[in-house]
Amino acid sequence: MTHVSDLVIETRALTKRYGDAIVAVDDLDLRVRRGEVYGFLGPNGAGKTTTLRMLLGLVRPTSGHATVLGAPPGSPRGLARVGALVEAPAFYPFLSGRDNLRVLARHAGVNEDRVEAVLAEVRLSERADDRSATYSLGMKQRLGVATALLKDPELLILDEPTNGLDPAGMAEMRQFMRSLGEGGRTLVLSSHLMGEIEQVSDRVGVIRDGSLVAEGTVEELRGRAGLRVRAAPLQEAARLLGALPTVERVTSVDDLLDVAVDTAQAPVINRALVEAGIAVSEIYPQKASLEDVFLELTTNGDQPS
Amino acid sequence: MTRNVSAELLILRKRAATWILLGIWTLLGVFFAYVVPYALDPEDSPVGLVEFLPESLAGNLIAGFPFFGGVFALMLGVFAVGSEYGWGTLKTLFTQRPTRLRVFAAKLAALGIVFVPFVLTLFAAGAVASYVIAQIEDAAVTWPSAWLLVRAMGAGWLILAAWGALGVLLGVVTRGTSLAIGVGILYALVIEGLLSAFADSVSALEPLTQIFLRANGYSIAAALGASVDSIESSGPGSYAGPFVDSVQALAVLGALIAGLVAASAFLLGRRDVA
Repeated sequence: MTHVSDLVIETRALTKRYGDAIVAVDDLDLRVRRGEVYGFLGPNGAGKTTTLRMLLGLVRPTSGHATVLGAPPGSPRGLARVGALVEAPAFYPFLSGRDNLRVLARHAGVNEDRVEAVLAEVRLSERADDRSATYSLGMKQRLGVATALLKDPELLILDEPTNGLDPAGMAEMRQFMRSLGEGGRTLVLSSHLMGEIEQVSDRVGVIRDGSLVAEGTVEELRGRAGLRVRAAPLQEAARLLGALPTVERVTSVDDLLDVAVDTAQAPVINRALVEAGIAVSEIYPQKASLEDVFLELTTNGDQPS
Repeated sequence: MTRNVSAELLILRKRAATWILLGIWTLLGVFFAYVVPYALDPEDSPVGLVEFLPESLAGNLIAGFPFFGGVFALMLGVFAVGSEYGWGTLKTLFTQRPTRLRVFAAKLAALGIVFVPFVLTLFAAGAVASYVIAQIEDAAVTWPSAWLLVRAMGAGWLILAAWGALGVLLGVVTRGTSLAIGVGILYALVIEGLLSAFADSVSALEPLTQIFLRANGYSIAAALGASVDSIESSGPGSYAGPFVDSVQALAVLGALIAGLVAASAFLLGRRDVA
């Protein structure tokens, strides 16, 4: 059981409606624990950004309740310990990267020594005196991360931090995010990119149509491994395996059978099929990828088995 | 709060638009208050040559604030807040430590500080222009009292602040700059201008015009020595009255600033930031 003080973010029935027709976030219960990297996964338009905006006090919930670091969203007490990058990073185009950070440091009440530290951390020191309007998208993202790090926050909220980056930039950002999640800092990472979430997150929440449809570790979401069996005749094999007491479920996938069973049962399955005169050409363990789970959750609405 | 204000001053100081507006304001202010009327024929002026001499410095310059200066202040006010929507920087500011109202208060304070060099620069440039004219005309150089100059500059700042507050509100309401400036100039030219003109023939409009920025600004300007004849014949910004008591005008401008700022703060505090 998670102790309340271990929760960095807690929402209860958080809801945001725009008029009567649009429900951006629907009755959302979210719990992020201290020190974890929480992946917030969902397709575009699922309500991720609206949720994060509510957690930062930028958007007012229609109903429900939220606390961030024990404070109401948007309160100075909470914001002092939160760093955020919401959607595309936004800066004063006529100011240099350094001056943009100086402006934010003064507003945040942070010592301006931090400006040089975070510029070095995101490797922008050499271009710090150039106007931010001249930065590439990757540099703007890094400046956005520098902004989020300025307060040396306990909680970092990064919304689609790899948006618009080329593969090299994405890899670099992922590595950077892994390092951000170390050392006891809590990181909430919103993305629609499975690889990003899978590689970085301790726990994942999947949101669809504003509702949390699954939550757990990547392993939990992917579920238990089963067996894939290629045999002939397929229908007879399916009927036989379905009758075995150790098999939970058999489904046909193309010309294969997807057998929900402990993978240690592979020799037993093989023997049963062969003894029944069924030719077995392939049998191997198979686990759903996070992408499979995500697609299943965000298209059918079914919970993973 | 000091650090919040210094952050906002850094933004305004490094923004080219601030310096461009200051330059245009100073050049045009001197151009229309001294160069053009003097070049045409000083005797055509309702008051004559004396209007361009140092002794009339306060009255001549303050007459340009209620309309011409107002439009500049309106733009500065719009830029101060409206641009933040265009750049998307409000969300960045509002996720730092201070409350929205604290950020807004810092923006207002910085804007108010920026109006000071606008007033001082124009008065300095006007002083130079009037001195040059006095030398050309071989006229006596008699400067107005320091007290009159201080009052005129203070009044000029107040008039700019009132228009700036209108710009801030329009920037917040429209969440941008273009529409806000368009609506602001439309208000200055059409609504205040036409209704003030109709007030002569439609008496019911007179109480309404008395709360206009233009009516109260010109009333203060007239009390500080601006020529009423010049105000009535100053092109699109002209105003033919009614003039109100200067104390009443100061109170109305103060109330307008408070109302406009309160409405802006309410909207900024309540609305979602996309």
